[in-house]
Amino acid sequence: MKKDCSRRQFISALGGAAAGFWLSPPGMCLAGRTPTAPVSVARCRAYGPEVLATLESMFDQLGGLEQLAKGKTVAVKLNLTGPALQRLGHQPPELTHWVHPQVIAATVHLLGKAGARRIRLLESPMSTAEAVEEFMLQANWEPRDFTSAAAGVEFENTNYLGKGKKYSRLWVPGGGLLFKAYDVNHSYEDCDVFVSVAKLKEHASAGVTLSMKNSFGITPCTIYGDDAGEDEPSELPRGGRGILHRGQRQPSRSAPSENDPRSPREDGYRVPRAVADLAAARPIHLAILDGIESMAGGEGPWIPGGRPVRPGLLIAGRNCVTTDAVATALMGFDPMAERGAPPFEHCDSTLRLAEQLGVGTRDLRRIEVLGTPIAKARSDFRSL
Amino acid sequence: MNVNPNWIPMKWPSGPLEISRRAKTQTLTSELKGTLEAWHDPAALELLRGAPVNCLIVLWAAGEREDFEQQRTLKPLLEAGRRMALSFVGKVTTKEGQGAAIAAGLEAGLSAVLLEEPPVRPLDLPVILQSLRSKIPWDSAFPLLSATDNLWPGVALTTMREGDEAIAGPTGIPWVNSNGWFSLLARQLAGGRTLWLDFDPPASSGISHPADYCLAVADSQAYGSRWVISLDDKLRAGIIRKTPRATRLWHRIAAVLSFYKKHEEWSAFQPQSVLAVISDFRGENESLSWEVLNLLSRRHVQYQIIEKSQSLSASLEGLKAVVWLDREAPSAELQSKLLAFVGQGGLLIAASSWRAFQGTPIQADFSARYELRNLGKGRIAVAKEGFQDPYQAAVDTHLLMSRRNDLVRLYNAQATNSYCSAEPQRKRGLVQILNYSTAGWTDLVTLWVKTPNRSSRLWNLGAKDPVPIQGVTVAGGVEFHLQPISTYSALEFDDWNVQ
Repeated sequence: MKKDCSRRQFISALGGAAAGFWLSPPGMCLAGRTPTAPVSVARCRAYGPEVLATLESMFDQLGGLEQLAKGKTVAVKLNLTGPALQRLGHQPPELTHWVHPQVIAATVHLLGKAGARRIRLLESPMSTAEAVEEFMLQANWEPRDFTSAAAGVEFENTNYLGKGKKYSRLWVPGGGLLFKAYDVNHSYEDCDVFVSVAKLKEHASAGVTLSMKNSFGITPCTIYGDDAGEDEPSELPRGGRGILHRGQRQPSRSAPSENDPRSPREDGYRVPRAVADLAAARPIHLAILDGIESMAGGEGPWIPGGRPVRPGLLIAGRNCVTTDAVATALMGFDPMAERGAPPFEHCDSTLRLAEQLGVGTRDLRRIEVLGTPIAKARSDFRSL
Repeated sequence: MNVNPNWIPMKWPSGPLEISRRAKTQTLTSELKGTLEAWHDPAALELLRGAPVNCLIVLWAAGEREDFEQQRTLKPLLEAGRRMALSFVGKVTTKEGQGAAIAAGLEAGLSAVLLEEPPVRPLDLPVILQSLRSKIPWDSAFPLLSATDNLWPGVALTTMREGDEAIAGPTGIPWVNSNGWFSLLARQLAGGRTLWLDFDPPASSGISHPADYCLAVADSQAYGSRWVISLDDKLRAGIIRKTPRATRLWHRIAAVLSFYKKHEEWSAFQPQSVLAVISDFRGENESLSWEVLNLLSRRHVQYQIIEKSQSLSASLEGLKAVVWLDREAPSAELQSKLLAFVGQGGLLIAASSWRAFQGTPIQADFSARYELRNLGKGRIAVAKEGFQDPYQAAVDTHLLMSRRNDLVRLYNAQATNSYCSAEPQRKRGLVQILNYSTAGWTDLVTLWVKTPNRSSRLWNLGAKDPVPIQGVTVAGGVEFHLQPISTYSALEFDDWNVQ
């Protein structure tokens, strides 16, 4: 894996791989040529001071953060899905479906310690243009925990134009599976390093939701939401991302339209493709998964049958596909599984699609696992 | 004869005049005629034994030929009622022959008359004036006021082919019909006088949603008003026939009324908030200011209302933010007072009429819609285009003030409103939660209160005793994991120590 590269270099490298894919016969997989990178796995039984120490050790295993972040603007996409006022039982969201603030604060602190110039905490809170800090307060979080963890910490709600003057267009190398490009908030382009901090969860439409699926939320609902403007993006975001889930209409005309409007209008087909596209279009330089406490059965309390689980794990890697593949295995699933097999009973495998786009391999035989071996940390989300 | 502000009023439709009225509206069936006749019988008053209802509203005169017969045949009911310590208010909907009707009412022992317009000359009976909300003479001397254009409380439903489907508000959460905000406004504008809320069950209502009646009581009483109890035709028929279902429902309504009577002192508690909303709430400002109050309530934003004419003398102590909604700029004297509030650290959110542009301009998240300035230790936010949309005005007010100043938050409770109040000395405090969902119990609700006090008592509607409840300390406050809420719950704190 490239230890440190610019977005342009990364995309250029991906473009070659992806071009190879697009020229290859249908069904031919490029797994043998896709990049790989080590993944660090660590036991962390509870939230507390051990989170910082554990993450620091894991980042050291991955080569340290300094070469990645020093002097850079680091964008950190958080995983705060759904409404802040909806909980799984009485549990606060950070114990079930949101990444825990201690994982965020520890990451921010370590990025700051590594010399990051700016650390921008990004999320697209559901159906609102309010500040991310306000969204956090609604969940009884304290945003000052993050601004005090390092210097130069900022927030931006990326569910709309936000503080930018215009939307940024992220092109998918090779032309994309669902869209050839996605229009997003400027923050995803105006950064040197992109970090995805996500929760270790299952997902109703994508089987699992990990570091790549977290990027589904970089798409602004002003363009891809249920109430998106027809010609231009709406001013304010409202509703969910029905356009990406079900394809009941096209995004605002100002953004690229779908590659194939006749493709299935089924979220099990569409969501994995959008996620894979986005993982290729907006490369993730560092993937961090909070699996200390989480939920099984779905991605949020709105999914019937969801239940809290305590895998007691932190997972990190410099390649989002290898990281998610290891995480999928740690959840008790086969990352090589295809549609019809768990956890992809009702959807295509995002791992396979991202692999085909050349983002990274899902083949555990090609992924070095650092720290705790998979066999010693594996749980079974279906029986927890 | 005195008007008792603590009356618990109930509509008592019966007799020839009511039968005639219903015949004209094509709603009279033989069953309903029988019900109206039966309710005219003094024996029907047995229903009220043990119930806290103590004031019946009877149709007294409508300028119809049945007026005399109505008044004559009501006498036995009135006499029987008086033996049960019931008061009667006669509704007079006619100006013609009003004097004679009043005289007859006086002789029959009415305690007051309910009029739709102010009398042209003083009457021998106390008058309760009933009018549209926007026409209530707040500054009048009527001892009780009654508003007519109220909503049946609940999640707004539109009848679909497949059944009822909730209407979503602008945020996607269910749209809730509540009169609570209006009761809070009336409390301020009426100078402590009691407000009656007159609203009838929706036409489609039967007795299949018993929670609805309890909610109608709760949505009025929790905010200090009184619902003029109004039962639908089916329920009244069922009560006469003593069907188990109707009897059970009436007993439930009576229990809910008793619950609030037992907690009458709660209605004297003062609203707790760090936000004041200033407006004259009238004329051109009425529509916006009323809807802003409604929508702030939907966001669980607690507020106190300051009527513009009272704002110079009103205390701003303890407030963190003031929103000035009116199109007209405040007087120079009031501007000075508000600027002093800002100088000491307050936030002033003002309509574009605000002309005192002191302070240092700043750029922030709201710069697109507001001109923002730092002044002293505080901030001013002036809506550049005025407040065009009450929804946006409510959202902006909440977020400009910041959720950091929330007093309560509720989780897993989309169809709820809440109301914080405390004794004038702020010893005991109360967080009342109203559940407008008609889908049954709302489960797994967590209440966050900005207090260090972990001990509270949980009151459920109709309960004789509270349940002690211990909270869990979290960032900035305490979380209470509540029992399932049907219509209403209240947390009572002995030490109201909101931070």
